[in-house]
Amino acid sequence: MITLDFLFQMFVFPGLLFLLGISLLYMGILRKLTARMQNRIGPPIWQPFLDVLKLFSKENINPENSRPGFTLWPMVALASTLVLALMIPVAGTAPLSTSVDAIVIIYFFALTSLSMFMAGLSSANPFAVTGSVRGLVQIFAYEFPFIVSMIVPLMFAGTLSPAGVSAYQAQAGWMLFSFPVAAVVFFLAMLAKIELPPFHVPDAHQEIVGGYHVEYSGTRYAFMEVARAVKLFVLISLSIALFFGGTANIFLFIGESLVILFILAMIRTVAARTRINQVLKLYWILGLIALIELVIRLLI
Amino acid sequence: MTDRKDTGVPESKKTYALPIGPQHPALLESENLEVFLDGEVISDVNVNVGYLHRGIERSLQNRNYIQGIYLAERICGICSGVHTISYCQTVENLLEIEVPERAKYIRTIIGELERIHSHMLWAGVLAHEIGFDTLFQVVWRDREYVMDILEQLTGNRVNYSMVTIGGVRRDISGNAIPHVFNIANLLEERIRNHAKVFLGDKLLLSRTSGTGPLKNSDAEEFSLVGPLARASGVKYDIRKDHPYAAYDQVEWASVSNRGCDAQARIAVRMQELMQSTGIIKACLLKLSDLRSKCRIEGKISAVKPNEAVSRAEAPRGELIYYARSNGTDHPERIKIRTPTYSNLLALKPMLKGQYLSDLPLIVASLDPCFSCTDRVALVDTSTWERKSLNEQEFRKLIDDPKYRRAPA
Repeated sequence: MITLDFLFQMFVFPGLLFLLGISLLYMGILRKLTARMQNRIGPPIWQPFLDVLKLFSKENINPENSRPGFTLWPMVALASTLVLALMIPVAGTAPLSTSVDAIVIIYFFALTSLSMFMAGLSSANPFAVTGSVRGLVQIFAYEFPFIVSMIVPLMFAGTLSPAGVSAYQAQAGWMLFSFPVAAVVFFLAMLAKIELPPFHVPDAHQEIVGGYHVEYSGTRYAFMEVARAVKLFVLISLSIALFFGGTANIFLFIGESLVILFILAMIRTVAARTRINQVLKLYWILGLIALIELVIRLLI
Repeated sequence: MTDRKDTGVPESKKTYALPIGPQHPALLESENLEVFLDGEVISDVNVNVGYLHRGIERSLQNRNYIQGIYLAERICGICSGVHTISYCQTVENLLEIEVPERAKYIRTIIGELERIHSHMLWAGVLAHEIGFDTLFQVVWRDREYVMDILEQLTGNRVNYSMVTIGGVRRDISGNAIPHVFNIANLLEERIRNHAKVFLGDKLLLSRTSGTGPLKNSDAEEFSLVGPLARASGVKYDIRKDHPYAAYDQVEWASVSNRGCDAQARIAVRMQELMQSTGIIKACLLKLSDLRSKCRIEGKISAVKPNEAVSRAEAPRGELIYYARSNGTDHPERIKIRTPTYSNLLALKPMLKGQYLSDLPLIVASLDPCFSCTDRVALVDTSTWERKSLNEQEFRKLIDDPKYRRAPA
């Protein structure tokens, strides 16, 4: 039954309005932090808002040979990330939470990445195609360790939803301390999922001119940018729900997420870009490590 | 432009053509690399030059020798100093005059300061191409010290206007020497730190070691010059082999490395930076013992018919100037060969079989300066079509009496 409370959760907090606001703000904070660490002044933290607003006022350019998906995929990317965000508890509230979230979450995460790269493939540009192919290869690399490291806390909490893991952690303590290996693997897989350095291979500016989004402009590009920002926030809140106690206190939640953002900015600052074959190798090793940990924990 | 059949690679191998340039973030100037990809691996590459032809050699013929200095300085934005040094040396050879000792030392100092600024700029660009923007920011922050010294000594940050025919235009005063000395010491420390990151960071090493291989035999066969050749074990440095200015009067060592990859190129340039600071300090110490005359006075009204060549070691390698005078105050002909022109040949063996991800890194490890490179463009004026010649066609063209000038 649709109640007023449900509508508020869907559209205001922690739904659409809050999500868009905080995601873009976090993107801005990430950029500012990186800039300060790099000895630069950097843009103001509200810069992503201005960027997106500007993009909405810009012309949509359709490349001559683009396929129909050119318009569709950015929308799918944004829609799937937003649905994803509603299933993951933000400060203890997840409006679309059910008892089998984890499986849906894994699929929707794959869909967000896939739709971005399909967008690149449908724009019929050699750089975009190269970027998309790299992105698809990278999915093969990080998806396995990501899923395995997600299964670990879910299995030991005996639930299939991040909200359940949060509730479990309230009694049993942080999963970060009980499963440090899985937490580290999850964190590294998260880096590749949001394409932050050292894993910004699909949109390498110096090699393939921005990769899969090179042909995008105007509203469609704004959709992709917002989708990326929301994805960053979703991954941070998922990691809090799974490993960092899954707090119900909004201030504690924001504090924890800012700490994670700071660590992300630090990694981004000290790392060079990896090559796609190095990414594959690294993540298969990580996946194996996570799997071995899972098996050992099950046997003991 | 270039015929694709010329590449000698079977059609089936050319699975996917990716145009790198004329406008591309990996190239800081306009040039076209036609890259053939087999997945992520480069199967072949065509280098098309000629987008930045500015007609400098022709313009030099229309100016007198003094005006030529300013034009030669503007051939390259990064190595502007060494272009004037080389140009002025050529004209001095035409005039058969000897430059005062003090001017030679000052030229050496300017040349080495420029090398430091160029190599640091290069190091920053390389870090950026690998996707390591922090290192790029930090290296360029420290590069500002050199730029400040250059401004203090010459009055300009980029085109120094320091060297002139018969000497240098400004003296380095005694007050400036301690400051420059201190900055040289500071830079040494900073460069040591940067070298530690460039040659010690695991992630950087995994990208650079073994990347862009260039065999010693290839480097010799293609007559490569500069740090690129020295990183492939070719011990060739104009400053050592054919000393000019004051390079034979101070203690320093020519750097070479047999690593033959991008990492070796980084190592060579980092060591060269350390050598440069050493040369600057040695020159500064000697300056106080020399007489204060730093320029031959006099006017150049007419230069008797003569021919001269001069070479200098630019940050990127050997720079050659050839000049012929005809008795007037205008040169009959000036021919310039910049280091990048001979080094561009190396792109093909360096890129073949490498990952596309490493293309920006490999191109950057060559340290190309395309605007200096473009000397000649062949344009059919009836159709405005551009064309390129093979060796036989070129020989036929230069033997054609139609294109020969009557002797002066």
